[in-house]
Amino acid sequence: MIKHLKTLLRGEVDARCLEKPNVRWFIAYCIAIVLGSSVYGATIGLWRAPLQSVFTAIKFPLLIFLTCIGNGAVNGMLAQVLGSGLSFRQTAFAILMSFAVASLILGGFSPITLFILYNAPPLASEQAIIGHSVMLLAHVCVIAFAGVMANRRLSGLLRKMSGHDTTARAVLFSWLAGNLFLGAQLAWNLRPFIGSPQLAVQFLREDPLRGNFYEAVWRAFRHLFV
Amino acid sequence: MNPPPLPSKQPSLFANNFVFEPMPNPGNPIRALENLLKYPGRIVHELHQTRAAILATWLLIFGIAGVAIYGIVVGAQSGGAQMWIAPAKLGFGTLLSVLICLPSLYIFTCLGGIDAQLRSVCGALFAAVCLSSILLIGFAPVAWIFSQSTDSIVFMGALHLLFWIIGIRFGLRLIDAMGRFLGATSRGHLRIWSVIFVLVCFQMTTTLRPIIAPSKTFLPTEKKFFLANWFETMNGTNEKKVK
Repeated sequence: MIKHLKTLLRGEVDARCLEKPNVRWFIAYCIAIVLGSSVYGATIGLWRAPLQSVFTAIKFPLLIFLTCIGNGAVNGMLAQVLGSGLSFRQTAFAILMSFAVASLILGGFSPITLFILYNAPPLASEQAIIGHSVMLLAHVCVIAFAGVMANRRLSGLLRKMSGHDTTARAVLFSWLAGNLFLGAQLAWNLRPFIGSPQLAVQFLREDPLRGNFYEAVWRAFRHLFV
Repeated sequence: MNPPPLPSKQPSLFANNFVFEPMPNPGNPIRALENLLKYPGRIVHELHQTRAAILATWLLIFGIAGVAIYGIVVGAQSGGAQMWIAPAKLGFGTLLSVLICLPSLYIFTCLGGIDAQLRSVCGALFAAVCLSSILLIGFAPVAWIFSQSTDSIVFMGALHLLFWIIGIRFGLRLIDAMGRFLGATSRGHLRIWSVIFVLVCFQMTTTLRPIIAPSKTFLPTEKKFFLANWFETMNGTNEKKVK
């Protein structure tokens, strides 16, 4: 299992593993996602409180799985409509593989983010805003890097499966757009992940399904510029 | 008679150092140190054999010990308790930095297309730290002379960091060499990791401060980032002089 995950990280996974998806590898990807993203999620939430770190450790893999499930049908359809030749099952497998790559990278970075957190001025201090900014920037960079690497691996796999660069690119961007669109909203529903010092530590905010990520962004935009 | 023509492409300056071949007498730790300096390619080769764990352990021990020895020179500027506090902090800080960055190094080697075992990756990192500590020991007399000529923490801190950067630059070449030995498809990943490792080590010096100047507490009571601490020290907010 570890050998296969290493092959996945190196980007040397054969297209044959997608032609006949294996249940053992499916379990391996799920385990990688749960372990890697939980550990990393814990380092995100720890800044606010130890309890928040537990909540975020649970919610981070949950966010990934819910995004995969929520977009499963449309991703499968897009893959077929765009001519990649992938079935629904193969699509789900490919997307899980890319999330597994991202989770493994995040897991590898978690000692470093924990070290940054250790050095960040505490919440109650005058320099808390600097600590919060550095933490936020570090997490954004790490998550962005993990996302870019995961999508590069996915892009390579799609190229092997479809045989065409254009098809692979079209499928990748359509999946990315859908996953980002739904993922942002699910992250909003599952908030908080980092936690605000002014608000209590909660697993979910009151009435978590109310409100919309894009409306919140629009309101913030209007407050700034209008 | 005409001299033979020069080859059209000159070999790189350090090409001969990285010939990947078996190391004679691999069980001898002193020989390992000698090869680390003169023929690091042999160390890279040995770290992928079955006895790699023993060699890696020796390299880690020598690396920590070497940094601790340099720590004596660092602490000599203040004297007193700093003569043991500085080596302890530098040795412990090095070990902690290695442990923090090891998981990401393993991930980055995979991302770079390298099929390496965990013991080989560990060994390469320990070898890098060991090589940098050997070079630091070489710089120790120079550092001591300067430490006796100035009371400025900022100047000496910058000088120690400079020597460390030179040492670790050679050390990180070993990790790059491991990548080449194992057929990395992309060396950019290991270079990114090298930057992360250097940043972690820089921050570690702030986490474990003070190292040069004496203090009432063993560890700092206030948390700061590396740059914030440096700017405050340069601006004189922190205690600047030793005496």
